[in-house]
Amino acid sequence: MNQHDSTFGVQLFIYDLSRGMARQLSPIMLGKQLDGIWHTSIVVYGEEFFYGGAGISSCPPGGTMLGPPDTVVELGNTEVTEEIFMDYLSSLGETTYSGDKYRLFEHNCNTFTNEVAQFLTGNKIPSYITDLPSEVLSTPFGQVLRPILDSIHIAPPGGNVISSQNNHS
Amino acid sequence: MAENSGTDPAVETNTEENAAASATIIKVTVKTPKDKEEIAIAEDSSVSQFKEEISKRFKANQDQLVLIFAGKILKDGDTLGQHGIKDGLTVHLVIKTAQKTSGGGSSQTSASSGPGPSQGNTDGSANSSPAGNLGTPQGSGPSPTPTQPPNMLAGFGDLSGLANLGMGSANFMELQQQMQRQLMSNPEMLSQIMENPLVQSMMSNPDLMRQMIVANPQMQQLMERNPEISHMLNNPELMRQTMELARNPAMMQEMMRNQDRALSNLESIPGGYNALRRMYTDIQEPMFSAAREQFGNNPFSALGGNADNSGAQPSRTENREPLPNPWGPPDTAATTTSGTATTTSSTTSSTTPSVSNPLGISSSSLGNGMFNSPGMQSLMQQISENPQLMQNMLSAPYMRTMMQSLAQNPDIASQAPTPTPAPTPTPAAGTNTAQQQLMQQMLQMFAGGNASTPTPEVRFQQQLEQLSAMGFINREANLQALIATGGDINAAIERLLGSQPS
Repeated sequence: MNQHDSTFGVQLFIYDLSRGMARQLSPIMLGKQLDGIWHTSIVVYGEEFFYGGAGISSCPPGGTMLGPPDTVVELGNTEVTEEIFMDYLSSLGETTYSGDKYRLFEHNCNTFTNEVAQFLTGNKIPSYITDLPSEVLSTPFGQVLRPILDSIHIAPPGGNVISSQNNHS
Repeated sequence: MAENSGTDPAVETNTEENAAASATIIKVTVKTPKDKEEIAIAEDSSVSQFKEEISKRFKANQDQLVLIFAGKILKDGDTLGQHGIKDGLTVHLVIKTAQKTSGGGSSQTSASSGPGPSQGNTDGSANSSPAGNLGTPQGSGPSPTPTQPPNMLAGFGDLSGLANLGMGSANFMELQQQMQRQLMSNPEMLSQIMENPLVQSMMSNPDLMRQMIVANPQMQQLMERNPEISHMLNNPELMRQTMELARNPAMMQEMMRNQDRALSNLESIPGGYNALRRMYTDIQEPMFSAAREQFGNNPFSALGGNADNSGAQPSRTENREPLPNPWGPPDTAATTTSGTATTTSSTTSSTTPSVSNPLGISSSSLGNGMFNSPGMQSLMQQISENPQLMQNMLSAPYMRTMMQSLAQNPDIASQAPTPTPAPTPTPAAGTNTAQQQLMQQMLQMFAGGNASTPTPEVRFQQQLEQLSAMGFINREANLQALIATGGDINAAIERLLGSQPS
């Protein structure tokens, strides 16, 4: 297997889905301060990858309807080539990260990003992001909202779905 | 030391594991996208030895294995120690499919990776792999151009996912209507809602009710056309009565019956019919039409009714028909006895305009539409179980203003759920502006608590001047009266005259 020794930069794009409203409203509604409702994606090989109700999707960086990210975190470098990465993503997309497995609280875009980040670089994503669901659920209001939120699938449009059953039969 | 560290593949694996004394066995978790296994291996093994183990466990060829740790690809020549792989750590594994897949993507040669695209060795024909792929020409450029068009449609289809974020429909009005229908068909739910202490307490606050009613643009229009309506609205006594009625469906029905009886009696008075007719055309008709337009839009539409039962009556003969079934489906307006009568606000009545409910707004327009999706329904359940919660929410100072703003700008409200990016230049510029407006309004609210309402003095500046010009020199009293009547000069004057006999 000839693999180049070049490395690829891996970035984490963080979006605040509430566009600032969470920062304002959370103390009132939830009783604790949440700075945002975070949606994340991994940017590597010049493309952005994220997980949503439609499964794993990809798009040019910043190309979803959410626009440019609120924060960008450098996760490090990876030697993994794009090809291997795509293999990996396909497998993921068939199994644990298919669209129907999306769960807003337990198995969401940030879960995916975290896993991919570890795969690519060995680093996890910042904990305030992965802690968000439990933060919300630990408030009474979060509990009340839970049934509704569970049925919501966040899928920012503008991406192409990566799947191995992709219209190529 | 018999250190046959298994470089010879022929050697049994056991030997590897019982490796020479100096090496300690570590347990490394090998994780594939599909599953993971714990593999015990000597600490100083080389990567290729490791791969051997793995290939047995995962039933794949060593050539197909790609091991990744901390972002690095483990090459055969390296050792585990070189990469810092220690006991308990996780190494990622990707199993490549060595050849192009054929048939419906069932090249399950390896346990883990399914019909992934072929290796980069092949040219872009990997795209045509029937197993489907990422749309990425392997080995060539990274952009998924060949399959982009169909994928984009899928991308736009995700809009529905996003719409779910906005409670299932981008159009509040539709939602309201749907909910209304739902509520109407389920009278029990309705009575449950009415009995809910939260709803009741909300309704017992005439100020709040009035605000909500007044905030509705259609209502405002109506009020302009028919000043009596605003008069009615500003009469707190009347409002309170109405709330009472609203809360108590039985009483409501009773009241309605009385009204209808009274009205039909009026008819028999000479000239009474004409009076009624006049009243109908003057007052009721515009209300009806306004109501029709925004059927179900205003959650708490109230109607200025004449307290003295002089409602309007369109029918030509004495009406012997039974009163409309408040719980039944809506039917046409013409058949029922109608009149202006009492105000109703989202209370138990059918949508047919009837005596007590000239607008024909059923109680189900209780902020109906939003609650259409099953998710919201369960929310409602939860909230009704925990009325305190809603109370808290509603008592927050900004809530009122938020509702007002929403009511005033239904467009904004309907666009609010879709989180379109505000500042970025997207083609939907209109959406952006509306979105921005809404955001600004909300931000203002948060910043200033109840900031959208300036002090009463400022609000009523004009009215105060008018009052003083008329001769009401007691500014304090004027202000009080204006506050109580929400700026309605006529009503304020009445108040003032009532309290000041001079």
